[in-house]
Amino acid sequence: MTMDMSRYLGLFLTEASEHLEGLGRDLVQLEREGAPAVVDSMFRHAHSVKGMASSMGFESIAVVAHRVEDLVDAIRQDPTKLERSLVDLLLSATDKMLDQVRAVAESRPTDDASALLGQLADKVCLVTGRTPSATRVIHQARPLSPPPAAPAPFTAAARVLPEAVEAPPPPPPAAEPPPAPEPAAEARVAAVLPPPEEGAAKTAKRWAVRLRIAPTCQTPGVRAFLVHKRLTGLGTLHGLQPPLEDLKAGRIPEGHIQVELETAEGEEGIRKALRNVAEVELVSLKPAVVAPPPLPAPAPSQAEAPRAPTGADATARTVRVRTELLDYFLDTVGELLLATARLRELGKVLPENSRPPIEEGVYRLHTLVKDLHDKVMSARMTPLSLITDRLPRAARDIARRREREVDLVITGAEIELDRAILDELADPLLHLLRNCIDHGLETPEERVAAGKGARGRVLVSVRRGRDRVVVEMEDDGRGMNAAKLKAAAVARGALSAEAAARMTDREAFMLACLPGVSTAQDVSEISGRGVGMDAVKRVVENVGGTLEIESELGRGTRFTLRLPLTVAVVHLLLVAVGDEVFGLPIAKVVGAMEADSEKLERSREMPLLPHGQGLLPVYGLDELTGVQAPPRKGVRPFVVMEGDAGRVALAVDRLVGQEEAVLKPLSRPLDLLPGLSGVTILGSGRPVFILDVPRLLSA
Amino acid sequence: MVVSAALSGPFAEAELHMAKRVLVVDDAIFMRNMIKDIFASGGFEVVGEAANGLEAVEKYKDLKPDLTTMDIVMPFKSGIEATREIIKYDANAVVIMCSALGQESLVMEAIEAGASDFIVKPFRAEDVLAVVKKVLGEG
Repeated sequence: MTMDMSRYLGLFLTEASEHLEGLGRDLVQLEREGAPAVVDSMFRHAHSVKGMASSMGFESIAVVAHRVEDLVDAIRQDPTKLERSLVDLLLSATDKMLDQVRAVAESRPTDDASALLGQLADKVCLVTGRTPSATRVIHQARPLSPPPAAPAPFTAAARVLPEAVEAPPPPPPAAEPPPAPEPAAEARVAAVLPPPEEGAAKTAKRWAVRLRIAPTCQTPGVRAFLVHKRLTGLGTLHGLQPPLEDLKAGRIPEGHIQVELETAEGEEGIRKALRNVAEVELVSLKPAVVAPPPLPAPAPSQAEAPRAPTGADATARTVRVRTELLDYFLDTVGELLLATARLRELGKVLPENSRPPIEEGVYRLHTLVKDLHDKVMSARMTPLSLITDRLPRAARDIARRREREVDLVITGAEIELDRAILDELADPLLHLLRNCIDHGLETPEERVAAGKGARGRVLVSVRRGRDRVVVEMEDDGRGMNAAKLKAAAVARGALSAEAAARMTDREAFMLACLPGVSTAQDVSEISGRGVGMDAVKRVVENVGGTLEIESELGRGTRFTLRLPLTVAVVHLLLVAVGDEVFGLPIAKVVGAMEADSEKLERSREMPLLPHGQGLLPVYGLDELTGVQAPPRKGVRPFVVMEGDAGRVALAVDRLVGQEEAVLKPLSRPLDLLPGLSGVTILGSGRPVFILDVPRLLSA
Repeated sequence: MVVSAALSGPFAEAELHMAKRVLVVDDAIFMRNMIKDIFASGGFEVVGEAANGLEAVEKYKDLKPDLTTMDIVMPFKSGIEATREIIKYDANAVVIMCSALGQESLVMEAIEAGASDFIVKPFRAEDVLAVVKKVLGEG
């Protein structure tokens, strides 16, 4: 029977990834705290991955996992073997396995792992003093994935068989001369025997038993031990050949075992006891020549009174659901909300007398849909640990590369956020962490010179506000220099010298979020992927949150992210230009006011709107969006909003109203247009684009 | 049940032959699903699953299965501990250890604790069913 393994692929991908991420976390914790407690957990992770990968036929992953398991086991036996280079190797092995799992998921060929396998094998030899054992892998008739890159030489033994079912067991241990009979054994066994019991004495007989362990047996030692256990369950053994120690170690020439069994069971009893042991053949069963002194059958194990339940039911009743399914639910419930709003609008045009029943029905429908929406939202809530769990590993790697020393403390990671926000936040958090360690923390020498401890500290704390989640990341490093940031922004032409002079330090720190304004001149791995501070700010704002930076020279920097619990519902200010209506996220709106646009001051063609103590640059929303609108004279409304480099005023034709709207993401090609962050459908059925004003201004 | 009891002849035999009830213990859903499918293909009824040793003992007492497959390396309570407790509770419990190469000494410990037999990962369905049927005296 060949099993179709492809149906386990999805589960393999999820579970193996989880185990590997867990392994990575444990390794970082192990290195940091030298905590032996995590070693067991590490062993479980590696062991599970090995089991799954070998079942799936992913040889390369299975072999790497096997080596990791060997090494972790060595640490478990002897904690003094733990050293940095070993952790490094285990971490690269973990990364490699994660990459290979991803490669399977993406159906792409994996990179060659032979160099790593070589290193792992060498390390296993070095640490355990043994050569690594072969890894048993079930080979699939049809590979589920592109075959892994060239197998390492020492796993060659694990691939064969024309019908491609499975690898042969590891080569048997070098044949040893059959051990000499051990006369002492009988006496030893006899010496520990309990006194004979009455009754059993009459029928006990000695039997010569010859057995053979099947040559295909993977673990002859265990098999033999099991047989030994069965036989001792029947009576007393004499002259066991090979002796028990050899049996347990699998040293069984040709698989042959012989023993004399003294038992009250008859022939059928012995046959029956051996019949239900797999992989063992009863070669012969004859009465032994010498009738020994009578001996008892051992007492069967005693059934005790049932113990009280241990009580700890460790698993909650849960099912795994694909996130796409939750997305679909949310999307559909969003549509339902919109459809309900549309019904309510339609109800308004009905004749007066038929309205109440319709309105009542719509009200009830709305309540139900709203409730359903809340439930779906709560199903999407995921603890922040999903992304903060990756930070310790990242902190370690960044710190090592930059020769910093850092303690990363994370609190409140159990607080939950909408999965959609979490997915967006992973890269920004990583970038902030990098900023803190790379640019924030001084070198150990500089720190000591400044009277600080050599080890820097980065604190990530998450707390739940009323309807927000606040994520703070702070370091105790050198702090940001407001004057330098201002100078850099002015030099790039992003800011006038006067505006810079008026800026508070707090505002100046936000200049770090302007594209290209950074006092640090390096292209890092992460910023190389286009995630700079500007991207961090944009992502945070796109999910409806805000970013704040506080910093003090010599004391450190704190980034504060205030995030909504969910992204799905946004509060919008609806504005009209020409015949178009647009939504502006109220979170970004400072206020609205009216002014006569012809009487505004101007600075180089740019109209300026007096607001508070200052003047704000005015942009026409019609020009920004390219909407045709008849020129307006006289008093018109302006919306004051937060922009990237301070506040701006948008000239609009009309303020339409406020709406709580279900945000729907844009699909191709609309998502390519800069400045649109989503779309919603009003109760009237009219679709409305939601504007990302800072992006619109910079486009 | 009433209907089948009313039947006579070979049909009644077949109808009354109850599928053996299995409890599957493993911390990996992947492994549990695989083992469940193997048992289903062999005509067994998987009546429960447990993801750790603690749960395994509870489920055993609850379900009284004919057969339990037990992973060894699991969180909270190892398969060996769980086997020991199950055997203490029911001396006739049939517990089959799910092991891997390299775990020989652990399997022997489990056998000492009362495990009836063992299977070696990665599993092949026919090997698993052969061992199980042997243990249950059906092979």
